[in-house]
Amino acid sequence: MIDVQALSKKFGDNLVLSDITTSIQQGEVVAIIGPSGSGKSTFLRCLNLLETPSSGNIEVNGKNLTASKKDIHKIRQQIGMVFQHFHLFPHMTVQDNLMYAPMKAKGVKKHAAEEKARQLLERVGLGQKAKAYPNSLSGGQKQRVAIARALAMEPELMLFDEPTSALDPEMVKEVLEVMKDLAKSGMTMVVVTHEMGFAREVADRVLFLDHGVLVEEGEPESFFQQPKSDRARNFLDKVL
Amino acid sequence: MNLDFSQIIPYIPFMLEGIWVTLKFVFFAIILGSILGTVLALFKIGSAKPLKWFADAYTSIFRGTPLILQLMIIYYSIPQLTGYDISPFLSAILAFGLNSSAYISEIIRAGIQAVDKGQLEAAQALGVPYGAMMKDIILPQALKNILPALMNEFITLTKESAIVSTIGYLDLMRRAQVVGADLFRNFEPLLFVGVIYWCLVMGLTVIGRMVERRLKLSD
Repeated sequence: MIDVQALSKKFGDNLVLSDITTSIQQGEVVAIIGPSGSGKSTFLRCLNLLETPSSGNIEVNGKNLTASKKDIHKIRQQIGMVFQHFHLFPHMTVQDNLMYAPMKAKGVKKHAAEEKARQLLERVGLGQKAKAYPNSLSGGQKQRVAIARALAMEPELMLFDEPTSALDPEMVKEVLEVMKDLAKSGMTMVVVTHEMGFAREVADRVLFLDHGVLVEEGEPESFFQQPKSDRARNFLDKVL
Repeated sequence: MNLDFSQIIPYIPFMLEGIWVTLKFVFFAIILGSILGTVLALFKIGSAKPLKWFADAYTSIFRGTPLILQLMIIYYSIPQLTGYDISPFLSAILAFGLNSSAYISEIIRAGIQAVDKGQLEAAQALGVPYGAMMKDIILPQALKNILPALMNEFITLTKESAIVSTIGYLDLMRRAQVVGADLFRNFEPLLFVGVIYWCLVMGLTVIGRMVERRLKLSD
């Protein structure tokens, strides 16, 4: 589904991603872990071209991203993204947050968008908050709305950029539950996370990045029990 | 003390009519300035370099020269260069609208850039096209930030509108001068229109506060 070939990204002279090659299959849940500043988020943001790669190729569903810059918004409609800081639209109600993009970008009719929004809010357990404004919600609720907003576009792939890092500890679980459900439903997911428990339990594969290099990838069980590289071992010693 | 307000009483209807005359062109100038200012602001933050240069040069010229000069140039040069006999009304709208758009474009540009970058990224990630994103996501949030500065600009415009009296447009200010010349007393009519200007500005201030409160609903 996603094919990444020799992806590199520079900010000025600073090489943040170096020659990354990997692929992600339909229905797979991939966790990206690594120390802060390792390029995890930048890698994720390259997958929907929020960052433009300096070199290399990314194909999503056979479409080359960098070559289709002109109609990138069409490709982005198939890729949902959830941010660390939610980025809900503060001047719209929760329901309007969910309805806006389907109506504006895909031309979905109002009543269909409304019905879809209602279903999704039920699914993330926030049916009663449809008319509330984002600023009246807790962090966990905001993030669940943000997930629902991304799902409203009916994406084939979901990107999560540290979705629980900005949350108070007691709210992490409610968001992870929603993500687990989503994984069970067969959604393809790429998750940058510091939640090792989640990576271990839910992910099909773990990518470990350090200093912009894809150091190691593998199944969670073997990765967490017997990391092959010293760098991964060091990292795991610190976080587990 | 030689003050006699009773003498201006017969002239009050004449002077009050000036409110309408002033408001009429101020209204159109604000509309023109806001539309043009928004377009210029979008040029400034956009990626097309020539448009950015144009908008910067435009702002530099209209902020860098006196408004009264711009007004005179429009009023006197258009008939001279094109033969079209432009009315004081149209000249006033043009001069104030064009001048104000330079200031408004700076206000809006700053307002847009103050909107959290995450909003733009969220809209982009959802695949919302640029135009819709600006109109529905970025500008409404920018508007909330810039409303006080924008109101300030409208208030300035309303007060400075008095300089159209120099091209013979019969606005409030001009009417006070006419009455003054008629009566050989200037202070009373000037004070009278001074109070009217103050009331107009207070009206604008109240409207601004109401709009601000309305936009704060989502907080």
